[in-house]
This record gives sequence, C-alpha cells and structure tokens, in this order.
Amino acid sequence: MGAKKLVFGLYNDEEVLLEAVKSANAEHIDIYDVYSPFPIHGLDPLLGLAESRLHIAGFIYGMLGTLTAFLGMSWIFTKDWPIIFGGKPYWAVPSFIPITFEVTVLFASIGMVVTFYIINGLGPGVENTYLHDRITDDKFCLAFDSDKMTNADAEQFFRKTGASEVHEKDIK
Amino acid sequence: MAHSNDTHTAAVPLVRNFDFTGRMKVTLLVGIVIGVLSMLLTFIGDDHSHSRFWSNLLHNSTFFTGIGLMAGFFMCASITAWAGWYTNFKRVWESMSLFLGVGLIFMLVIALAVWMGWNDLYHWNDANSVATDPILKGKAGFLNRGWYLFGTIIFGGLWYFVLSKIRSLSLGEEADGGYGEFRWHDRIRVYAVAYLPLAGFGSAAMIWLWIMSVDAHWYSTLFAWYTGASWFVSMISATILLIIFFKGRGYYSNVSHEHVHDLGKLLFAFSIFWTYLWFSQFMLIWYANVGEETGYFKHRMDNYPILFYGNLVVNFVLPFFVLMRNSTKRKFGIVGFISVIVFIGHWLDFFLMIKPGVLHTTHELNGHGGHGAEHGGHGHEAVGHAAEHGHEAVAHAGEHVSHFTSGFTLPGFLEIGTFIGFLSLFIFFILWSMSRATMQSENDPYYYESVQHHT
Repeated sequence: MGAKKLVFGLYNDEEVLLEAVKSANAEHIDIYDVYSPFPIHGLDPLLGLAESRLHIAGFIYGMLGTLTAFLGMSWIFTKDWPIIFGGKPYWAVPSFIPITFEVTVLFASIGMVVTFYIINGLGPGVENTYLHDRITDDKFCLAFDSDKMTNADAEQFFRKTGASEVHEKDIK
Repeated sequence: MAHSNDTHTAAVPLVRNFDFTGRMKVTLLVGIVIGVLSMLLTFIGDDHSHSRFWSNLLHNSTFFTGIGLMAGFFMCASITAWAGWYTNFKRVWESMSLFLGVGLIFMLVIALAVWMGWNDLYHWNDANSVATDPILKGKAGFLNRGWYLFGTIIFGGLWYFVLSKIRSLSLGEEADGGYGEFRWHDRIRVYAVAYLPLAGFGSAAMIWLWIMSVDAHWYSTLFAWYTGASWFVSMISATILLIIFFKGRGYYSNVSHEHVHDLGKLLFAFSIFWTYLWFSQFMLIWYANVGEETGYFKHRMDNYPILFYGNLVVNFVLPFFVLMRNSTKRKFGIVGFISVIVFIGHWLDFFLMIKPGVLHTTHELNGHGGHGAEHGGHGHEAVGHAAEHGHEAVAHAGEHVSHFTSGFTLPGFLEIGTFIGFLSLFIFFILWSMSRATMQSENDPYYYESVQHHT
C-alpha cells in the first residue's frame, strides 16, 4: 500500500459528525474513513459498511470448541483412560457440559480476538499510524483522500459542517 | 407539551388511547367461555378429589400470576436503574403487572380450598400424613395452611398495592406533570425500589409454597430462580407479541424494531439463563445422587420423557439458535414466532413442574401406594382409576402405556381449553387496561430517550 495524503476535520460532537457524513454523502464526496473514540450509533449504514462477519467466525470457533471439548472428553473417558468418577458411567454427559461450555467460550473469545487483530493489522510491537492524538480522546474525525479532493474544497466543506480543526497528514 | 427536540418525532400521529373494539371483546370472551367450559368439564369428569381440575387451576393461575409479577419486577428494576428505552411502551408492562390482581384472585380461591381441605394438591395438607411422616412434620412450620393462605394474601396484597400505586402515579404524571419534570417520577421510583425486595424475596417464598411444595418431600434451593426465569421469559415473549399486535393495528408507530430487538435480546438471554438454572439444578442432583433429591427427576425422566426432553428443545435449542443472529431479533415474524413457541414451552414447563407431583400425591392420599422414584411397575390400578371416568379417548390408550394418565402425563384437550381460557382472560385484561389510559407516556422524563432508542 502506497503512501496516502489525507485531509481531515475534527469535530467536537458525534451528532455534528453524523450530519457532516450525511452532507458528504449528499454531495457525493468519497469519504476515506471516520475515526472516533467510541462506536457511533447509526454511522455504519451511512458509510455503507457491510455487517461484520466476525461473529460468524466466532460461531465457528465456538462450535470447534464444543466439538473439541465434548469429543475429547468422550474419547478420553471411554476409550483412552476410562476412570469412574463418583459412581457415574464412563460417558457421563451431564458432567461434561460445564467444561464443554467453558471451552466453547474460550475458543470463541480467543479466536475472535486473534481474528480481529489480524484483520486490523494490530498486535504487540506493531507500529500503527494514526491521524491525530485526540481521536483517542474526545475528537471525532472525518477524513478525505487528498487525491480525490482539493484542500480548498475540503476546508470549505469542514468549515460549513462545523469542524473545529482541519489538518493534513501523510500515512503509509 | 413543548418538546424542544422535534427532529425525531414520528411522522404518523400517535393514537392516544387503545380502541378495544367489540370484535376483540367477543373473540376473547369466546376464549374465556372455552376456558370456563373446559374447567367445568374437567370438574365433572374428575376423580373424587378433583385433582385434575385443581391442578389445572393451579398450573394456569401460577403461570399467569407470575407473568404479572415479573412484568412488575422488570418495570421496577428498569425504573430503579434509570433505564429509559422501554418508556414509550411501558403501559404494556403496567397493564400486564396489574394482571397480578386477577391472578391473585385465582390463587386465593386455591388457598381457600387448601385451607378448607377441598383438594389433594399438597401432601403436607393432609393431617394424617404429616403426623406419621417425619419429613413433612419437619417442614410443617412453613408448609401449612396458614402460611399458604396468609402468605398469598400478605405478599400478593403488598405486590398488588405497590404496582397499582405505580400505575396511578404514572397516570397522574401523564395528566398533571410536564415533560422533563421528575416530580412524579421520583415518587414512582420510591415504590419501584420497594417492590424489588418484596417481589424478589416474596416470590421465592410463594414459589416454594405454590409450586415446589406439590412435591412436598423434595426441595431445591434453585427452584425459585428457575421458576422465576420461566415467568420472566414468558413475560418477555408476551410483551413482544402484544407489541407486534398493537403495531399491526396501527398503534405504537414510535415503537420500532429497535425496541423489539432489545426485547429479543432479553428473550434470548433469559432463555439461556433459564437453561442455566435448569441444568444447574439437574446436574447437582444428578451428581450428588441422593435418593430424596433424585426422585423428582427420575419420575419425570421415566414417565414424562416427551415433556422432559422436549422442554429443553423448545425452551433452549430453538430460541438459542434462532435468536442468535442479530437480524432475526429485528424481524417481527421470526421473533414473534419464537415468542409463541417459548410462551407455550414455558406453560409446558409449568405443567411438568406441577402435574407429576399432584398425581403422585393424589395416588398416595387415595391409598394407591408409592408412585415416585421407587415405583416398580405397579400403579396400573391408579391409572385405571382415572381412566374409568373416561375423560377423553386418549385415556384408554393409558391402559396400554404404563403410568399414562390423561391430563397429567400430557396436556389433554381440557388442559388446552383451560389454557385458552386463561390466556384470553389475560389478554382481555391487558387490552381493557390499555384502553383505560393513553398508550404513550409523554410526560415520563425518559419518553424521548425511548423514542430515539437505537440499539
């Protein structure tokens, strides 16, 4: 991925940002991305983002966990190393259920976290460029690609929609 | 009402009061008549202690009373927690919670019958058994007629008092208050906070008396939670169905799929919670394998396999897999379908809680000997006893299947008729109550929060 030049406006309020996104859509301006300290209700459909498929992956990881735990215990306690616990049969299904549940949660959660990190290029030691420090604090950012829009147009748009600051930055 | 924020006002004008049409009334009255006829037929064709009649009455009364109790409980919990998302349909929960008053009348009839010794519902209610049975003797301090009658009156009266106070304050707020004022809301909150411990602790005591003590020798510390979860899930599914009904009639244009989505989440979550309690109760008893405790499950697994395993399929597997996805909770068709399934499923869950114990008690008190965990294939005379009266054709099948008793092993037509009767009364009361007040509570300080609600 080559270097990109972005022009972005910072907003103080997510409602103002939502209105800005709406007017950008109305003017057919190509939005590069929106950055926010927290998820904004109603933003995803405005940006035309498809529903995340992370939960489908989570379901598959969970089912893998269920099968691993249940089939694993079934094999261990009936074939590999049968032991009688508390006078119960070898294949004591009710006592397998809590462990099956826990392994399901473990597989689903760890699997989803790892998938999320890989998809988003996050991870320990990874250097990520970000546009502005305060995006992680109290500012809401709307970014345009400088190649697709002149800075003057962008500045005019940001002033019109109530941005508090306008900046430019190169990102990798 | 001057609302400063008018960007989110619904475009369709909001109808103020629910119009309870004559056609709805007639339909529901037909349902009530079906229920009354079913109960009369049950009473006439019953054995001499009328166990089928009384257990049907107990089954439906506890089920529907508990739905009212839980509607009040969740409403009060939401008020206490400063939740606002439900405010534009809170009249549904107010109406449903007031059904508690109707349900308590039925419970009082049962309590009076217990007091007078008119039925064989409870083993602890038989003086001879208590005198000779050390377990019943040990429990006699709680499991007795006085606790049953006065517990029902006192706890039930307190619940109903608080809920009707909340309702009248809520109507007062609508008539007198202005939007954004907390004057009335603060007073409602006091009652809401008071209701939580009253309903929380009181319902446990009443569940032990009303439901768990039909198996008088058996007890489980989880039982009250388990029953409460069953009530809760039924209450949520009834709420979803009523909202879909009202929306279909053009009301509640500002109650959107966002609200139904949240109700769907509650239905999903509390179905899992119910299953968690069901399983916790089952596994601890299965693992400990103490004879006094396992009898409850052994009896149900051996003699009620369809209901016992079907219970888990209907109340866990179906809602779990269907409501798992985001989109299914937002589609009225799917969430409504699951609500119907789950509502009937929890009615069957109550059937399974109450009927086996009552049948067992009836047999014991009428000298047919043990029928529980230690049964050994006898009990045919017990089956014949009920089959003699020939309730329905299915009763004759009972002669071939060991232990099958019409109206007890599986719900018969009369049980379904009684259910239709109670359900019609329940809906009739709610619709009547909805027609008595504005459907929207625009002076509630959380009104606009709920109109703008977005999940």
